[in-house]
Amino acid sequence: MKKKIILISILYGIGLAFSLWLYHHKPIMMEDYGQLLPTKIKEVQGAKSEAALQNWVKDSIENGEKISVAGMQHSQGGQTYYPNGIVIDMKNYDKILDYNPEEKTITVQSGATWEEIQKKINPDHLALQVMQSQNIFTIGGSISVNAHGRDIRYGSLIDTVESFRLLTPKGDIINVSRVENSTLFPLVIGGYGLFGIILDVTLHLTDDELYQIRSRSIDYEDYPYYFIHEVQQNEEIRMHIARLSVAPETLLREMYVTDYELAANQKNLANNAELKRDTLAAPQKFMLGLSRYSDWGKNLLWDLQNKLYVGQSGNYISRNNAMRGDSKFMEYENPNKTEILQEYFVPIDEFTSYLDDLREVLEKEELNLLNITVRYVNKDEEAVLSYAKEEMFALVLLINQGKSKKEIEKTEKVLQKMIDVTLKHDGSYYLPYYSYPTQAQMDEAYPRNKEFFEQKKKFDPNEVFMNLFYKEYSQ
Amino acid sequence: MNFRKFLIAQSILIAASSVAFPFYLLLIKNVGDSYSQFGWAYGLFTLTAALAYPLIGRLGDKFGDKKMLLIYTLGMAAVMLLIPLLYEVWQVYLVQIVMGLLGAIQKNTEKAFLARHNNSETAGKQIGKYHLHVSLWSGIVIILTGYLIDFLTIASLFYLISFVYIIASFVIMKRETV
Repeated sequence: MKKKIILISILYGIGLAFSLWLYHHKPIMMEDYGQLLPTKIKEVQGAKSEAALQNWVKDSIENGEKISVAGMQHSQGGQTYYPNGIVIDMKNYDKILDYNPEEKTITVQSGATWEEIQKKINPDHLALQVMQSQNIFTIGGSISVNAHGRDIRYGSLIDTVESFRLLTPKGDIINVSRVENSTLFPLVIGGYGLFGIILDVTLHLTDDELYQIRSRSIDYEDYPYYFIHEVQQNEEIRMHIARLSVAPETLLREMYVTDYELAANQKNLANNAELKRDTLAAPQKFMLGLSRYSDWGKNLLWDLQNKLYVGQSGNYISRNNAMRGDSKFMEYENPNKTEILQEYFVPIDEFTSYLDDLREVLEKEELNLLNITVRYVNKDEEAVLSYAKEEMFALVLLINQGKSKKEIEKTEKVLQKMIDVTLKHDGSYYLPYYSYPTQAQMDEAYPRNKEFFEQKKKFDPNEVFMNLFYKEYSQ
Repeated sequence: MNFRKFLIAQSILIAASSVAFPFYLLLIKNVGDSYSQFGWAYGLFTLTAALAYPLIGRLGDKFGDKKMLLIYTLGMAAVMLLIPLLYEVWQVYLVQIVMGLLGAIQKNTEKAFLARHNNSETAGKQIGKYHLHVSLWSGIVIILTGYLIDFLTIASLFYLISFVYIIASFVIMKRETV
């Protein structure tokens, strides 16, 4: 009996040691929101303090490790990781460091989300100038993609940034603004994490305002005129979004627009200022589910959406609430499929002819297109990788696709055609998404990309900060 | 194997599996990326068990409950060493099949033993007492784990549980004092 116990103990000891050894060498798989690029990485480090971050960067320089910086990882082209690299997860680096309601500025650590800022500033009736339509993203991530949103008066996110502190590829911490280390300012913003770690950011705020929602259906041919004359020239309209039909019966023809107009009586703001909570979102999720599977569902969803959104016309909403859209209904779990985004920018005067050409591609090709929203972006060439070469409409496309290699290739073929059409109309496309665009398309859409990558190599000669986007397009 | 030893062994191993279960669920949910994979993982476990029961029952009669429980505890100790290493869905599926087999051995042996060692008039009372002990220990250990988990990583919890299964196997092997 004793012999048996000893034998079992020895065998168990060997098994345990082997298991622990394997556990230590277990690869960590990383993927972003797009789910198309699962990649083995070395480790994930959660950012806690400035000192720890600085040490990791210095250690990485010494050991020749590669670093990627991650927030919510909604970029879909591997911007937040690199094979065998270290991913620095910034989500818990999220304190509000300084808040000055009189001067309307706030300084936050880069892992803080828009939501956290909104909670802090809403009681003082302040709001953000520019952010995405959802508030789930981190500030660092949003700055790294130079995001834009529904606001039509403040430009892109870069315009609202006063300054930030950067942990450089050499391990130093420097201030960056339009006067200090100013060459870095337009490189880091919209720089996809390639120039170091953004530690904290000072942003300009604006007043929270009460808006009245105005919604209506419109034909795509009338839209540019409507936008210029009734939206842009009406100073009272502060925010704007439109939707384009993806229903086969009305594809890229029917639209509806939503304008956020300054309410006549701002005294009612207090009654509408309380921050909305997430809704259950079950009906939207169900409808989106139907439209994934059939043209019939797409037609039905379009009709219902039209009624739903136009039905909101006349309602009041605060700026902060208009800037915290639902995202829950878009959550999608399927083992073989995923939902990806594309964003195409096209000059206002090209819009109608662009849609005609795009429709031709879509009617010929097979693409499960679920949703298109249209926003306006001001001309803004401050960022080196700027997407707004002139005043443009931005079309955000939600696409359902398979995860297999074959499905990726199928989507690639269609999207490259769509990007060709976009470029033909002097347009551009947004960079945070999967690497469907060819290098030639990248060169055409971003004429300063060589400069961007040269500056990157100059500033980070050892290529400490790496990601899959850089790997794909910097060669 | 006498009833007392059976009770102690069962208390230990049922407590161990009750502790592992919720964390194991978390793990297989994370490895798979959809509820359908989760459903498959769990379904495989149950289906394997279902198909294995008739054979396991016959083996139990042939080799005795002690040997069967020993196979279960040693098997589970080994499986717990594998769980922290899983990162692909097929691995989870495989482990689920093995665990389905082992789980069937434990369940069948437990019931067979209780049937063999109770006379039919007082069986209800006896089994009631048995369940009291076994469940009581599981309850206490689960509550304690709630506190313990703050100090442990999930992986180390599985290593700890593996060790507990080994202890249970030693209890089963121990010479019986009548």
